[in-house]
Amino acid sequence: MEEKEASQVLVHLEVDGKSVSLAEGSTILDAAKLLGVQIPTLCYTPLVEPYAACRLCSVEVEYPRGGGKVVTACNYQVWDGIKVRTDTDKIRRIRGMIVEMLLARCPDIQVLKDLAEEYGIEKVRLEKQEEGCILCGLCVRVCAELVGAHAISFAGRGLDRRVATPYDKSSDACIACGACALVCPTKIIHVEDQEGREIIHEELSLGPSKAITLPFMQAVPNIPYIDTEHCIHFQTGECGYCAKICDRDAIDYELQEETIEVDVGNIIMATGFELFDPSVMGQYGYGRLKNVVTSLEFEHLNCAAGPTGGRILMTDGGEPSSVGIIHCVGSRDENYYKYCSRVCCMYALKYAHLIKEKTDADVYSFYIDMRCFGKGYEEFYHRLLEEGVQFIRGRAAEITDYAIDSDEEGKLIVLCEDTLIGALRRIPLDMVVLCSAMKSNEDAKELSRIFSCSLGSDGFFIEKHPKLAPVSTTSDGVFIAGGCQGPKDIPDTVAQGAAAAAEVLSLIDRKEVEVEAAIAVVDEDRCSGCKLCNTLCPYLAVKYDEEKGVSVVNEALCKGCGTCAAGCPSNAISARHFENRQIFAEIEGLL
Amino acid sequence: MSVETNIRFQSPPELSAFRDRLSSERRDDINRITICAGTGCVAKGSIRVFEKFTEAIESRQLDATVELKISGCHGFCENGPLVVMKPAGILYMEVRERDVDDIVEKTVTTGEIIERLLYKDPVSGERARNEDEIPFYKKQMRVVLRNIGKIDPNNIDDYIAVGGYSSLAKVLSGLQPEEVISMIERSGLRGRGGGGFPTGRKWRSCRNAPGDIHYVVCNGDEGDPGAFMDRSLMEGDPHSILEGMIIGAYAIGAEDGFVYVRMEYPLAIERLLNAIRDAEVYGLLGGNILGSGFDFRIRINRGGGAFVCGESTALMASLEGRAGEPRAKYIHTVEKGLWDKPTNLNNVETWANVPPIIERGPEWFSSLGTDGSKGTKVFSLVGKVKNTGLVEVPMGITLREILFDIGGGVKGTKKFKAVQTGGPSGGCLVVDVEEKGKKGAFNLIDLPVDFDRLTEVGSMMGSGGMIVMDEDDCMVDVAKYFLSFLKEESCGKCVPCREGIRHMLTILDRITNGEGSAEDLQLLEELAETIAEASLCALGTQAPNPILSTLNYFRSEYEAHIFEGKCPAGVCKQLVTYSISADNCTGCTLCAKNCPAGCISGEPKELHTLDSSTCIKCGICYDVCNFDAVIRR
Amino acid sequence: MSFEPRIVGFLCNWCSYTGADLAGTARIKYAHNIRSIRVMCSGRIEPTYIMKALYEGADGVLIAGCHPGDCHYQEGNYKALRRYMLLKRILSEYGIEPERLRLEWVAASEGERFARIVDDFTEQLRKLGPLAIKESIAEAMKDDIDPHEAHNVESGEADEA
Repeated sequence: MEEKEASQVLVHLEVDGKSVSLAEGSTILDAAKLLGVQIPTLCYTPLVEPYAACRLCSVEVEYPRGGGKVVTACNYQVWDGIKVRTDTDKIRRIRGMIVEMLLARCPDIQVLKDLAEEYGIEKVRLEKQEEGCILCGLCVRVCAELVGAHAISFAGRGLDRRVATPYDKSSDACIACGACALVCPTKIIHVEDQEGREIIHEELSLGPSKAITLPFMQAVPNIPYIDTEHCIHFQTGECGYCAKICDRDAIDYELQEETIEVDVGNIIMATGFELFDPSVMGQYGYGRLKNVVTSLEFEHLNCAAGPTGGRILMTDGGEPSSVGIIHCVGSRDENYYKYCSRVCCMYALKYAHLIKEKTDADVYSFYIDMRCFGKGYEEFYHRLLEEGVQFIRGRAAEITDYAIDSDEEGKLIVLCEDTLIGALRRIPLDMVVLCSAMKSNEDAKELSRIFSCSLGSDGFFIEKHPKLAPVSTTSDGVFIAGGCQGPKDIPDTVAQGAAAAAEVLSLIDRKEVEVEAAIAVVDEDRCSGCKLCNTLCPYLAVKYDEEKGVSVVNEALCKGCGTCAAGCPSNAISARHFENRQIFAEIEGLL
Repeated sequence: MSVETNIRFQSPPELSAFRDRLSSERRDDINRITICAGTGCVAKGSIRVFEKFTEAIESRQLDATVELKISGCHGFCENGPLVVMKPAGILYMEVRERDVDDIVEKTVTTGEIIERLLYKDPVSGERARNEDEIPFYKKQMRVVLRNIGKIDPNNIDDYIAVGGYSSLAKVLSGLQPEEVISMIERSGLRGRGGGGFPTGRKWRSCRNAPGDIHYVVCNGDEGDPGAFMDRSLMEGDPHSILEGMIIGAYAIGAEDGFVYVRMEYPLAIERLLNAIRDAEVYGLLGGNILGSGFDFRIRINRGGGAFVCGESTALMASLEGRAGEPRAKYIHTVEKGLWDKPTNLNNVETWANVPPIIERGPEWFSSLGTDGSKGTKVFSLVGKVKNTGLVEVPMGITLREILFDIGGGVKGTKKFKAVQTGGPSGGCLVVDVEEKGKKGAFNLIDLPVDFDRLTEVGSMMGSGGMIVMDEDDCMVDVAKYFLSFLKEESCGKCVPCREGIRHMLTILDRITNGEGSAEDLQLLEELAETIAEASLCALGTQAPNPILSTLNYFRSEYEAHIFEGKCPAGVCKQLVTYSISADNCTGCTLCAKNCPAGCISGEPKELHTLDSSTCIKCGICYDVCNFDAVIRR
Repeated sequence: MSFEPRIVGFLCNWCSYTGADLAGTARIKYAHNIRSIRVMCSGRIEPTYIMKALYEGADGVLIAGCHPGDCHYQEGNYKALRRYMLLKRILSEYGIEPERLRLEWVAASEGERFARIVDDFTEQLRKLGPLAIKESIAEAMKDDIDPHEAHNVESGEADEA
């Protein structure tokens, strides 16, 4: 690699009078980028080989020996001594005419309108068509060269040229990656959902918009991961663009998931929670109606690093003029989860505030009770009341797109009973946020078995004692913190996490483990050496001593369950603290 | 005609010994009848004539003394089918089946010449017995076409007998590749496909390009409307193309060659395949050519008939099996061509020029032609000229010589108006014979024809099409014709060509419909600039030539269409009206009888009237009137 | 005044006792008839404990352990189940209705379930009426409960001394 760089030949040239040196094999476009000289392009992407079809990047080149010509910057390789001019009258005329020709072909394409403005084209003098595609070939080339799917290609020649699938039929070669739509400068390619075919990339998708992405902004470690289900490389074996551009060679497609065993003395379970999927609640139309989103999806929209760059947008890319927030979706609901998810009221208030701040939309909040229990929370609620958020007390009954008058046309209509005014209402909205219930993880049951700690009827882990041991479990050395213990907000989670860490530290600090006092002991005089106890012990703590002819208990291994004592036919084993006579005494005392 | 399969030449001397044997075995006492089987003559029935000859000779049991054979195109297609009688060298023209018995009875048996089948000079009325006496041939210089008409293209022995493959033998007898390239360079040969790039320099760049594998390609995708030079060569003398390619491959260091021929030339493909087969049998192609250790193979690829595949990069894409679309040539094909390997592509005519250069020396070749353009050029002379056909002339000959001395002047009674050269992307040049000097610098009748002169005046050599036009041709319509051809043939890859040609055509349509405006001319010029400067390949950059050259030389015609609403040539229907002149009409009823719309009425011997409301402007009345009574305005 | 049965409950430390505790902290109301004894595991419960409880005057005995698969000691509750099945048969030989012994799985979170079980068991015992054991059988029972009692008592007395 280094050798290659050292042997690279530099060439020197001028672009618009500015000198620049760069490696042999670079293009004029590379040189212009280096100098910050703007050259417009339509059919260029660094992802695939230059195509030079739109000719918009035309520039004038003057040869060192005299003479020159008009060339395209995207694929003209630089050589020593050339002088490039990107903004001469001639070039402006040529580019202007190209834009005018394209605009005549596709009068409604925004990128062309923008270019027309830049090149001062006020009126298109040429015969107009109603096309959308400018035939730049980006989609075709990306599909073939990068994705390797070859699902679309040019059909027809000359004026009949168009982008098509084989025989204009829906093609199995298409892996629905959406790369074509992504690179299309005119944005006229739409990827449609088809039965049995999942769209990998969707415009304004609320999930990760790329197959390689950081799990979330504050992820630890802060390293991107590849979503193999959606990564083109894992589908077709092609692309590999991330590996190509990573100068640290950090991309390894061969890496496999692996299980790492770590020996530890303490475990803190902070496995979190899951969000209830509201699509099972048919009345809210989630997954069926556009612009009905869950609270987590709305959080994505709000995120500055998210797909919309933090703008609150509907699926068509427009800003909503009214937004509804429905509390208690799935929680406080006899049919789903009886408990209160605890955090929804407050984040719903936060959303209302953000919507007011970022857009001009009206905000409607549909609540059962407003639970603002924390420090400063009630005050925040009052502030929102002053901001003009509409709070409607009453569980929303239904979201529908069935309009009964013109005001409701094209809107989502929330049906609810406003219990404060005692009336049924229909409220037309552009977007509805569902504050979905927090629920325990699907695999909590399995974890509880592995760690021998109990699950509550709500599916969350139970602490050893609600007041005295709030982060401990019935298993020594296993602690719980955060959402896996029950719905809670971030401050509570942090506090619990710190508490669990402190518990662990106190155990580590002691440097020794106290063994159970309540263990089994063998009365060697009574033991007949029948070995029945040996098979009873789940921890193999009772072993037969050949020399003595009796069974003995390993005190470090014994957990003190007493099963051996209960099984001993000669009553030779007794469980400390739970000896027969102690229990008998209890029985006698009780009765 | 079959090849002697037991022969395989192991060295150059074996080849020349075989040639000597052929000439010693050649009998001079027999009649040789050569019937032209070029496409023009075939279309006029020469195959039937050949069959009739076969019958006639068999029935008279003349087999022993008469040898029948076919040949490639003689060029004088206007007067086909052509039959040459050797040894006397008599050239019969327009020979029909009914003439065959006559020829066999008289010329073959008694030597009597049939006057009516001889060439008749249109001016003097004198008959000419053989080619050399006919002006059409007299002014020509046949270098590339030297064998055509003389040899049977399907017979390799014929080619060898006239000296074929002796250049290859000379090259393989000790010439180094460098020496061969140097000879081509010194000859001054320039590419005949249209670009006019020096062939020797191209070969050198390709030879010097890094890489083990080099290719040579012969471009036989001749797509210009009205051009058939390459076709005649491939059909009439395929071996000279192969010989040129083998020499080129040796000089460049290629082991594989391809001939790209369009599907529309099945006869050319057949004859090339025969030639390749025979050359391989003789050890002139394939492994260890003439025992020299040099290997070279040639394959034929059929193109789908897309005009743009004549462009080198599109041709290579098509050869590779991809869509025939050009790519930018900033990296030349001699460095990265076919399958990204250094590739030397030359036109059919260029390759055919190579053997004579080697044989007669570069100095001989460079003595022909002008400073910048050496040698000869084959033109297909078509249009409103008396002698249409294929002509080969030395570079630098004037248009006047071509049109009058060879072409025989304008057909009919009209005046010459223009010559279009260079195929659809060429330009139209003013030629005005009678009013010499009147139009000043615009009159190009005495323009010496070579690469540089033609480019200077806004046209180009192209591959050698030459279309002659007279007063009845509307230059706007001509531009429209070529542009609509280019519109159909644009591959559609780059914006200026795809969109620009369409818009230029729309504007021309407007003008010929009388709906044009002054702004349209301005817009045409603006479009032309962008298309010429910014298109991806030569098809696009040269596409505005028909418009630019006609705008330059015939702007008044455009202006007449736009401002006066008239088509001076009377071609553009929307702008033409027909009427009948009271002075000239004799009431012969010919026009009324022929009018398909029935819009002419009148009693016999009385003045006819034409109802212009139902007239469909077909012009039949104008054409049939013998008294110039139909007026077209 | 109706008969109030006396129930002795043997509850495992991890699930059932915690569950009972939850019922208490959750202030769930249930029959006061149960008296609970905590053992570490339902597997610790010897059949003699049940005999002893019945001998001492209990009208019914409840054994409660973790749900199958949930045992803190992996499999103690299975051992309890096996002993329970055998003991049920033996009880009838003493003339004691097997229904007076009940085994239930109560998880730590199931305070309510614990309460319901106790209520239900109490009602069941109320219907069965008080447990009466014949004098002769009681004698035999006493021996069966603790054949080593003498030894234990001796040592116990010795300890006290």
